Amino acid sequence: MTTAGEEFIRRMAAGDRDAFGHFYDRYAPLVFPLILRIVRDRTDAADVLQEVFWEAWQGASGYDPARGTPEAWMITRARTRAIDRIRAVRRRSETFVPPVDEGLAPASPEPGGDAAERAEDRGVIRTALNQLPHAQREVIELAYYAGLTQTEISARLQQPLGTVKTRIRLGLERLRDVVRRAT
Amino acid sequence: MNGHETYETLAAVYAVGALDGDDLAQFEVHLAEGCQPCATALRESREALARLALGDTRAVPPAEVKSALMARIGTAPRAAARPSRAGWLTWAAATAAVVALAAMLTSGIVASRYEARLGQMAREMAAERERLQREEAALELLRDPATRVVELRSPSGSNAIARVIWNDKAGGHLIVSNLPPAPEGKAYELWALGGAQPRPAGLFQVDASGRVAQKVEAGGEPPKGFAVTLEPATGVPAPTGPIVMASR
Ligand SMILES: [Zn+2]
Repeated sequence: MTTAGEEFIRRMAAGDRDAFGHFYDRYAPLVFPLILRIVRDRTDAADVLQEVFWEAWQGASGYDPARGTPEAWMITRARTRAIDRIRAVRRRSETFVPPVDEGLAPASPEPGGDAAERAEDRGVIRTALNQLPHAQREVIELAYYAGLTQTEISARLQQPLGTVKTRIRLGLERLRDVVRRAT
Repeated sequence: MNGHETYETLAAVYAVGALDGDDLAQFEVHLAEGCQPCATALRESREALARLALGDTRAVPPAEVKSALMARIGTAPRAAARPSRAGWLTWAAATAAVVALAAMLTSGIVASRYEARLGQMAREMAAERERLQREEAALELLRDPATRVVELRSPSGSNAIARVIWNDKAGGHLIVSNLPPAPEGKAYELWALGGAQPRPAGLFQVDASGRVAQKVEAGGEPPKGFAVTLEPATGVPAPTGPIVMASR
């Protein structure tokens, strides 16, 4: 079965601008909060958002549904570009490391459709990260949201590299488990 | 096999974007060589992380982003869309498998089925051995402090990415991901930059999922960077086609 998102991407690959408009309307509100959370500045976040959708338009023919959902395709890209942005800032100011959020903001309610269906398990998934042991959650947040590499995390937490790797692996396994059970 | 557990850990660190140094190059070689369990683990991790991100509060993006994008796609020239071949290839492979199976069944000779199976296993083992040898050679290279890893990106902003693990004495390995297959009659060509002229460093094609890993021979001036262009399938002595990827 082809999802609406996949259908939009297929039409974008054929040069369909309307499909791109619909694709944007559907996915921009999903990826923007992640970008904002990572870069923390609204103007920067808007720049990154534009970059991410421009790449999606350019790269639509390279999308392969067998390798992931449109959501994962866009979120992975958005996260990468947002991290590129903060790493560039960090290189300029050497020691700057963004703080890590202590909690995730609650999801806002929204009107019907499949977005509402997604909202149901959103609560379960949002708390997934909170359910992790602190040590596992910390390394995943430092990596995924703050863009630190394993070596940087190891230095920052003063933990051996092997410990950092193991914590990331265990934490991620647990997250995958929660998501699997929620779907 | 116990040795694979290391890769499972690397796959997790890779999924959260935190892999660096030799681990990163080592894992990308492993992935480019086509390890299915790691590709699956990575896909599942990305889906899980995406679901996690979708749990965040909705935020309305500034309206001017959409209008800027719509204006941009309306005017900018865009690389001609090429239908993905992945779907077609899957279909072709499935058809071929059905035809092969039918041939085996109608042959009616049990022995020939075993022979075919044995032949296939021998081919798979030879391919596996070759894959391991390439992987070991790349790892060996990474242990040499004189080896560096050069990243190539697409100037058009596509998500195609390549890395060259390079050693001036021993040569190196090219690892490519997310590059669309070259059109009929064309191939990608790698160039070593830094001498008076770009030096041809090998022709390559990618598989249906946009990947390849291959050896790059040493020679010429020590390169300062690398680039990939799209060229006629037979290759050219000096670049003529568009630059698909380049190091910074
Ligand atoms: Zn593997």
